Amino acid sequence: MNLFRSEEHLERWLAGREPGASTSVDTLCDLAHAWYSDRLDPDWRPHTLEHNQAILDRLGLTGTFWRLA
Amino acid sequence: MDALDLTIRNQVYSNFVRTGRAPHPSEVAIDLDLGPSDVEESYQRLHDAHALVLDRDALEIRMLNPFSCVPSAWRVEAAGRTWFSNCAWDSFAVCAALHSDGRIESTCADCGEPLAVDVRDRKPVQRDYLFHVLVPARQWWDDIVFT
Repeated sequence: MNLFRSEEHLERWLAGREPGASTSVDTLCDLAHAWYSDRLDPDWRPHTLEHNQAILDRLGLTGTFWRLA
Repeated sequence: MDALDLTIRNQVYSNFVRTGRAPHPSEVAIDLDLGPSDVEESYQRLHDAHALVLDRDALEIRMLNPFSCVPSAWRVEAAGRTWFSNCAWDSFAVCAALHSDGRIESTCADCGEPLAVDVRDRKPVQRDYLFHVLVPARQWWDDIVFT
């Protein structure tokens, strides 16, 4: 899970490999906060798969690539 | 995840955030007045449940997601300290977990040039980079270190 300076840098890094999925840094930051904001809470409980899938869906990270199971 | 494993998991995270170092099972056993083998067995169950990541064939903790317990290419300045994380996602997540602004420093995976993103009020200041995930979501935990 990497950061690239631009689409051109990503394509060069892939070197012909099948790409995965790309998002903006804004979406990444929103994803990180939705997924991890409760990580240090004293009453933390593991997220269910459905909970995490809903986070991805809400951010528009949909399609086969983003299916957790 | 049962109550004992949750208690041990929370103690591990609390200890790590306080000291910057992942605790050995013997330290957690003393903190919680448990037997060392109870904590060792819990570490393995927590690893199996993806609640922490152990180094292969050892009871040393490698990841307390989003934190890396070993130095990595992802540095995050947040809440008055320097942390390591495991990847781009986890770097932003360090700020999220600590409920803190921060500064993420790493390099472009292609050219190696330094990258830096400041996070202010849960938003990135530098917004022109691209985040790429190579491994499909259903395979993330097949090899979480590679992911």
